[in-house]
Amino acid sequence: MRRSLRSIRDVVLGLMMLPMVTLMSLMGQTTTPPPQTFSATIYLDYRYFLTNAGPVTLKPASDTSAYLNNQFVFRRAYFTYENKISDNLKFRFRIDADNTANVTGVTLTGDPVAGVSLSKDDKLRPFVKHIYLEYTNFIVPKMVLNVGMIETLTFKPAEDRWGLRSVAKTLVDGYQDITKQSISATSADIGATLKYSISKYFRLAAGIYNGGGYSHLETDQYKEVELQAQFTPVPGFSVVGYYDYEHKLPVASLPAEIKPAAATYKVDAFFEMVKNLVIGGEWFTFKADLNQTGGERFNRGGWSAFGRYAVKPDKFSLFARYDSYQPNSLDRDQDLDLVIAGFDWAPYHASWRLQPNVWFYNYKNGARYNANATKNSDVVFNMTFFLSF
Amino acid sequence: MKKIIVITALSLALLGSLLLATPARKMIQIKGSDTMVNLVQILAEEYMGKTSGAAIAVLGGGSGTGITGLINQTCDIADHSREWKPKEIDQAWEKGVTPKFFVVAVDGLSIIVNDKNPIEQLTIAQVGALYRGDIKNWKALGDYQKPVSLYGRQSNSGTYVFMQEFVLGNKNYSADMKEMNGNAQIIEGVLQDEGAVGYVGVGYLYDEKNQIRKGIKVLRISKEPNGTGYLPTDKTAVDSGAYPISRPLFMATNGKPKADVAQFLTWIVGPEGQAIVEREGFFTIGEGKYKAANDKSFK
Repeated sequence: MRRSLRSIRDVVLGLMMLPMVTLMSLMGQTTTPPPQTFSATIYLDYRYFLTNAGPVTLKPASDTSAYLNNQFVFRRAYFTYENKISDNLKFRFRIDADNTANVTGVTLTGDPVAGVSLSKDDKLRPFVKHIYLEYTNFIVPKMVLNVGMIETLTFKPAEDRWGLRSVAKTLVDGYQDITKQSISATSADIGATLKYSISKYFRLAAGIYNGGGYSHLETDQYKEVELQAQFTPVPGFSVVGYYDYEHKLPVASLPAEIKPAAATYKVDAFFEMVKNLVIGGEWFTFKADLNQTGGERFNRGGWSAFGRYAVKPDKFSLFARYDSYQPNSLDRDQDLDLVIAGFDWAPYHASWRLQPNVWFYNYKNGARYNANATKNSDVVFNMTFFLSF
Repeated sequence: MKKIIVITALSLALLGSLLLATPARKMIQIKGSDTMVNLVQILAEEYMGKTSGAAIAVLGGGSGTGITGLINQTCDIADHSREWKPKEIDQAWEKGVTPKFFVVAVDGLSIIVNDKNPIEQLTIAQVGALYRGDIKNWKALGDYQKPVSLYGRQSNSGTYVFMQEFVLGNKNYSADMKEMNGNAQIIEGVLQDEGAVGYVGVGYLYDEKNQIRKGIKVLRISKEPNGTGYLPTDKTAVDSGAYPISRPLFMATNGKPKADVAQFLTWIVGPEGQAIVEREGFFTIGEGKYKAANDKSFK
């Protein structure tokens, strides 16, 4: 099994290197002047916690303790520059900004140093999300090569169909935010992807990356490989299979004969046969040898179903989604599910939208997430403002 | 609990008012080719004038914009002056869109120069060489000492793609070509620039008196170096294929057109619509292959 995976990895690496050499030679050709575009997308929420006894929105016992029951949140701001270098070659540079984990200072105490304290703020700070070249009709028509800090293959099919990233990430993308458990999934990474539309029925894609996501450099000798196949047997119905794999460094707690690895298996299905209606579903399981309880490996997984109906395209849509999360296959008390429902309204122009939405969390055992919770549910209202220009 | 009830009630009230505010009559949304936008706008106005209750909105943006709009179902009709690309066909299939194509007019794509330029005729290969940047000075083609200034469209234009495929032999345009927003801007550029060459739809050649605009010259185009050159304004030459740079102009719908859209398209390809097509400087579809293809798409 591992040998065959190594072979797949080698083939993918080989495929990537050959095109890159060709790409460098093609870049020297005379081309049309590059049309350039600049765009920005911003998501802002007014968030109100409608319950106060669940694991997330738990009201503190003391009135003097801070209680975050409503807030304005600048969730994301993207600035994207694209340069169409030629009919086939495009460059993209995207800056993203969020306000998590902003360490602003480190204080060392004692001599010799006995302690470290970090100071942190929540300013919206920018970081590079994408910086890549895209070559379309590469080698053969309908083959696309991306090289650089690129979008991974993991979320894109579901994200395109869900179409409401401003309201919520899709199942796998949002998994870590919701469950606080890692599944090694990232929306961007340094590497290369090759996508090929064989026909309208069948598409293939392969990618190879550092595996550290856009937040980290390569940290080990292993690369992550992703494979994806989409089958569209009839207009408007697609099934997408996805697989990724990466070796991990051995750890002392595992028997020496185990060469640890992590893999994600994912299947998506999308129904778009009815005008203005999109129905989609995602299922995945994440298997990592490092995830062990009492010598037994546990898996993480989940599934999601969503629907979006454009009552008036570009103007008014209704949406709803159900997610089911199983963070530990050996401890099903950690299971939780989430229902999201709302509407998307562009009162004046498609670039400025209001997206009021409600999130209902249900926990099998809320105390597993917060020991003081008296309810197994949370209800959160968001008035999402979406700006794009 | 009260908060939930209040917020839910407010949301429902907002939703209800939005739905009530939605107009009952459906407007036909058309997007796409800039070459076709004036023609389709006039067709729409004439049709609305004679058809009670008809409402049609026409937007340009280029053939690619219209095709994307139809794929994403944000318009009812896509205007396009080029064939769909394989990638667009695949995207449509994925999103459950099955396009039906209707040829509504024929365009003789015209090669124009400033009227100070003494050149009268070019071969199609020479036009390709000019736009690839292989010929830099008019001296190489005749008795005119002037650097060549290239005027063309932006890459989202169907005309850009059509020229690239049929005239440039699928090679890249010269890096020196000025990419203009529309046909009118190309005409303006050629009028101002004595070394200019541009390409525009035949409908843009005429002024309000239905004469070829002053200050520009329409070149005869031949297939071979010593062959007879033809003008794009010569309907017989365009119909017979003797004029080598002609193309059908399309309207596409998602599946077989229904109700208002079907009526509008039937009117366009019928005698009244085609009379307007001719009046606006384009060529009619005639009784041949285009009519047969349209009949098939209506079924």
